[in-house]
Amino acid sequence: MAMISYANVSVPVRKDIQEAHEQVWHKLAEPGTWWTGAERVAIAAEVRQAWHCRLCKERKAALSPAAIPGSHESLGTLPKPLVEMIHRITTDPGRLSKKWYGELLEQGLTDAHYVEALGVLVRTVSIDSFCRGIGRAVHPLPSPVRGEPVRRRPPAARMDRAWVPMIPNGEEAGPDGDLYGGRFASNVLRALSLVPDEVRLSIFVLLPPQYMDPFKVRDPAYDPGRALSRAQMELLAARVSALNQCFY
Amino acid sequence: MNLKAVLDPSLESGIPHGEALLAFADAVLGEEDEVLDSARKRVLKELGPEALVDAAAVVATFMQMDRIADATGIPMDGAFLEQTREVRAELGLNRFASAQNTFGSEA
Repeated sequence: MAMISYANVSVPVRKDIQEAHEQVWHKLAEPGTWWTGAERVAIAAEVRQAWHCRLCKERKAALSPAAIPGSHESLGTLPKPLVEMIHRITTDPGRLSKKWYGELLEQGLTDAHYVEALGVLVRTVSIDSFCRGIGRAVHPLPSPVRGEPVRRRPPAARMDRAWVPMIPNGEEAGPDGDLYGGRFASNVLRALSLVPDEVRLSIFVLLPPQYMDPFKVRDPAYDPGRALSRAQMELLAARVSALNQCFY
Repeated sequence: MNLKAVLDPSLESGIPHGEALLAFADAVLGEEDEVLDSARKRVLKELGPEALVDAAAVVATFMQMDRIADATGIPMDGAFLEQTREVRAELGLNRFASAQNTFGSEA
């Protein structure tokens, strides 16, 4: 049975969007690079729970989230640092800090586990937001697939100016040189590269049907030929980023 | 295009159906389902069903991309930083907390 279906919605969801969402949902349930399939699905479930967390609502309304003590209303299946990570990024992404990230690492989360969990989180938020936008209930989470994570760290990933190591562009990418397809990747395309599959799914699977070819974004004259004009798309993008207080 | 409309949707954006699209973005990120229903219907009426799908997809994309950027602490890429100097100043974007990832604590 298909995990993703837009058959009964009143608007025509393009086939490329449907196929991308199916691929993402299928991969969600499989063992990843660092997390098992069951853990990945649990992360997605906790993302959905975060929107209902009273502590998150209080922190979001406060001048400083750090000023509000308390425990998250979580599903109880994941370790506390991971719950804190999921809830904060989901509900208040604009006020994260390097200090906050460092505290998660001190509590036992590794940088690679963080990046993979972030990939699962953002794709869940993305597809759930799409459903909300078109007026469809969110898709049921898939059943986890058994198996062990790959546990491979890209040898060329290194710290630059971000909080997390990233695979560089060009020849310095080493054995993962094919990740960016031989093209120059901006920081946001490289941000999840400590776990290359997270780049593949979040950027190269989801972006083209939902937005555009990520390597065409910096060309203001490029128009992907959708029902909305490029200008209308960028107006929406800018407004969402303003609401999320995202400087980048 | 009036970029200030991105921060204040009461302003005219200069983009066709800009008001409907801005209201839709706000409603998807908001919590009131009735407001979202109304915003969705307005996009359908003014732009059509394919445009609603596109709009939902763009909103979904930036709900993802904003979190990738802000949760990894990536700085703005060098050339783009220079190109956007004036617009950032005009819109006051440097006041966002996440600007620290580009400028450090001097932001």
